[in-house]
Amino acid sequence: MSTSNDKKADKPLSVFQRRWRKFKTLKRGWYSFIALIVLYLFSWLNPLFFNNEALAVSYNGEMRYPVFADHIEARDLGQRKIGAPDYRALKLQYAEEDAGNYVILPLYPYGPLENLLKDPTLDGLRPPTAPDSNHFFGTDDRGRDVLTRLVYGFRISITFALGMVLLSYAIGMTIGAIFGFFGGKIDIFGQRLVEIWAALPFLYTVIIISSIIQPSIKILIPLLAIFSWVGISFYMRGEFLREKSKDYVAAAIAIGEPNRRIMFRHILPNALTPIVSFAPFAIVGGISSLVSLDFLGFGLPAPTPSWGELLNQGISHINSWHLVVFPLLALFVTLLMVVFIGEAIREAFDPKVFSRLR
Amino acid sequence: MTKPILEVKNLHTYFDVEGQTAKAVIGVSFDVMPNEFLGIVGESGSGKSVTSLSLMRLIPDPPGNIAQGEVIFEGRDLLKLPIEEMRKIRGRDMAMIFQEPMTSLNPVATIGKQVCESVILHENLGQAAAEDRAVKVLTQVGIPDPRKRLKDYPHQFSGGMRQRVMIAMALICQPKLLIADEPTTALDVTIQAQILELMKEVQSLRPGSATILITHDLAVVAETCDRVIVMYGGLIQEMASASDLFRDPKHPYTRGLMGSIPHEDDRGKPLYAIPGNVPSIMDFPKGCRFCTRCDVVMERCENEEPELREVGPGRFVRCHLEGLDTPATSNTEGN
Repeated sequence: MSTSNDKKADKPLSVFQRRWRKFKTLKRGWYSFIALIVLYLFSWLNPLFFNNEALAVSYNGEMRYPVFADHIEARDLGQRKIGAPDYRALKLQYAEEDAGNYVILPLYPYGPLENLLKDPTLDGLRPPTAPDSNHFFGTDDRGRDVLTRLVYGFRISITFALGMVLLSYAIGMTIGAIFGFFGGKIDIFGQRLVEIWAALPFLYTVIIISSIIQPSIKILIPLLAIFSWVGISFYMRGEFLREKSKDYVAAAIAIGEPNRRIMFRHILPNALTPIVSFAPFAIVGGISSLVSLDFLGFGLPAPTPSWGELLNQGISHINSWHLVVFPLLALFVTLLMVVFIGEAIREAFDPKVFSRLR
Repeated sequence: MTKPILEVKNLHTYFDVEGQTAKAVIGVSFDVMPNEFLGIVGESGSGKSVTSLSLMRLIPDPPGNIAQGEVIFEGRDLLKLPIEEMRKIRGRDMAMIFQEPMTSLNPVATIGKQVCESVILHENLGQAAAEDRAVKVLTQVGIPDPRKRLKDYPHQFSGGMRQRVMIAMALICQPKLLIADEPTTALDVTIQAQILELMKEVQSLRPGSATILITHDLAVVAETCDRVIVMYGGLIQEMASASDLFRDPKHPYTRGLMGSIPHEDDRGKPLYAIPGNVPSIMDFPKGCRFCTRCDVVMERCENEEPELREVGPGRFVRCHLEGLDTPATSNTEGN
C-alpha cells in the first residue's frame, strides 16, 4: 500500500482512474479487453490479409496495387478473362510464363463475397465442402470461404454492437436524465410514454420494418437502438433523482449554472457507474440481436458476411458440421470475452476490496 | 444614510406538506448594509435557512414557494426576475456557502474545475485566466500551494480545507453579498475559529460588500457579527446590534439562548436549557410563538401575537413585555 500512497502524493487519482487501475489487475477481463481491442483494430486491416485481390501485381515492369485500386480489367494484366482478374489463377499463369511478372497475394487469398464454385480448390465438389488445407474452415452452401466470412463478420458484429450501444445509451441517458432531473409532471407523464414505448413488441416491429425496407447497417443500428434505450433510461433516471438532491448540485445552482451544465457536467460524471458496468452486457446483447436477426433473415442484406446467416446455413445443412461449429465457436468466444470484461468492470467498480470472484 | 445592499420586505415562504401549508417564514423584513456582517440566529426550524435560500430563490418548488414579499437587490426585486436573469446574479453578485463541506463539492471533479466554474460562466474568462484567478482566491483563503492543488479532488482535502475551497468558490467573482449558511457547523472548534476569521478577512477585501451569517451558535455571532437577527418560528423575534444584544438581551428567547451557553462559573450546576421543544411547524400557538416555552409568559401572550416594535435606535423586539415598565424577571440571569 505504501507505493500507492507515494504515487498519491505527486499525482492525484480520480475515482475513475483508481477503478481503471483496479480493472487492469483483473487479468481475465484485462486480457480479454486487450485481445478484443487488438482483434477489432486488426479487423479493419482484413482486406490486406483475407482477400481475393492481390496486394501487388508486377506486369511487364509496371507495378499495380489492386487492393487499393478502383477497378482493374483482367485484360490489362494479360489474363484471358472478362471483368475482374482472378489473381490466384494469374499467379499460376505468371509462374508458368516465367517472364519476370509476379503477383503478391494476401496471406489467405479468398474473398468474403467470392464464389468459389469454379475454383480449382473445390475441384468439382459440391459446396458446402468440409475444411481442408486450402479452406481451413470449409466453404458454405454457395461455395464461399467460411473463415474469411467469419473474420469479416466479426468486424460487422462488433461495429454494429458498438454503434447500437453508443446510440441507445445516448438516447437513454438523455431521456433518463431529463426525467430524473426535472421530475414532477415531466417525469410522471414521460415515464408513462416510455412504458407504452417499451410495450411495443420489438422483434415484430423490426421484422415488419425490415420486410418493407432493405435494412443496411446504417438503418439497422438506429432501428435497434430506438428499441433498446429504455432499460438504461430507468437507471439514469434513478441516478439523477438521487444525485440532484445532493449538496454539490445546490452549490452549482447557487453559482448560477444553467440546468444543462449541471446535468451533464456535474451530475452525469457521478451517475456513470451503471452505464459503464452495463455497457459490456449491452454489447453482448447487440451482437446477439444482430445474429438473431440475420439468422431469421431479417438482418443485413444477403451477400453481407454475417454470423447469423452462417448459423442459418448450419441449420439447413446440419450434416456439414463446420457450418455449425465454427460460427458458434466464434460467437461463443467473442461473447465470453465481452462478459469477462463486464465482470472485471463490475469488480473494479465494487467498493469492497476483496471478492470471491477472483 | 447609505443605501442598503439588500432589502428584504415582508418575506413569506411556505411549504406544502401533505395538503397542509407549513409556514416556514412569515413576514420577515430586514436590510443589509454595505460592509455589514449580519448574523441570523435561531434553533433548527426557526426559518433562518429558509430565509437565506429564499433570498437566492433556491427554495425547491414544489413543495416550497415564496408566497409574498420583496427582495430588493440593486434596485431590482429578485423574486420577480426571470430565472435566466436570476442565474446571472447567482454566483456573480450573490454567492452562498453551504453547511456541509463534505458533500457540497462534486466528488468526481477537480478543485480547480469547480473553483473556476463560476468565473468561466459569469465573466467568460479562458481556462488559463480562470486558473490564475482561482490560484489568487485559493491563496486568499489560505490553501497552501494552490497551483498544484487545483488538480486535486475533494477527497484529498480535510473538512476545514474543503470549507476554504467552498469559500473560494463563492468569492471568485467578488460577490457583493455572501450568504453563509452555517459554514462552521460541521467543523472542529479550532477550524471553526479559523474559518470565521477568514470570513471577516475576505469581507474586508471587498469594500462595500456584505455577509449574512446564518448560525445557531451565539458564540459565533458574538465573535463576528455587527448586527444580529434572532428568529423563532419563522418570525424575527429580536434585531439589534451585536453589542446591544449581548449586553442587554430583551426577548426572553434571546435570554434563553444566552443562558444555554455553558459558563465556567456554573461548573457543577446542571446546564440550563430552554424548557420544552420547538412546536411542530403546523401547530404553533395562536399568540406569541414562543409562549409555550417562555419563562415569563402572560395570559395575553397566548392569544395575541406581539408586534415587532422598535424599542431603541436600530433595536427591534417582538414581545408584550417590552414597553411595560416592569423588567422581566428570569431565572437565567442572561449573560
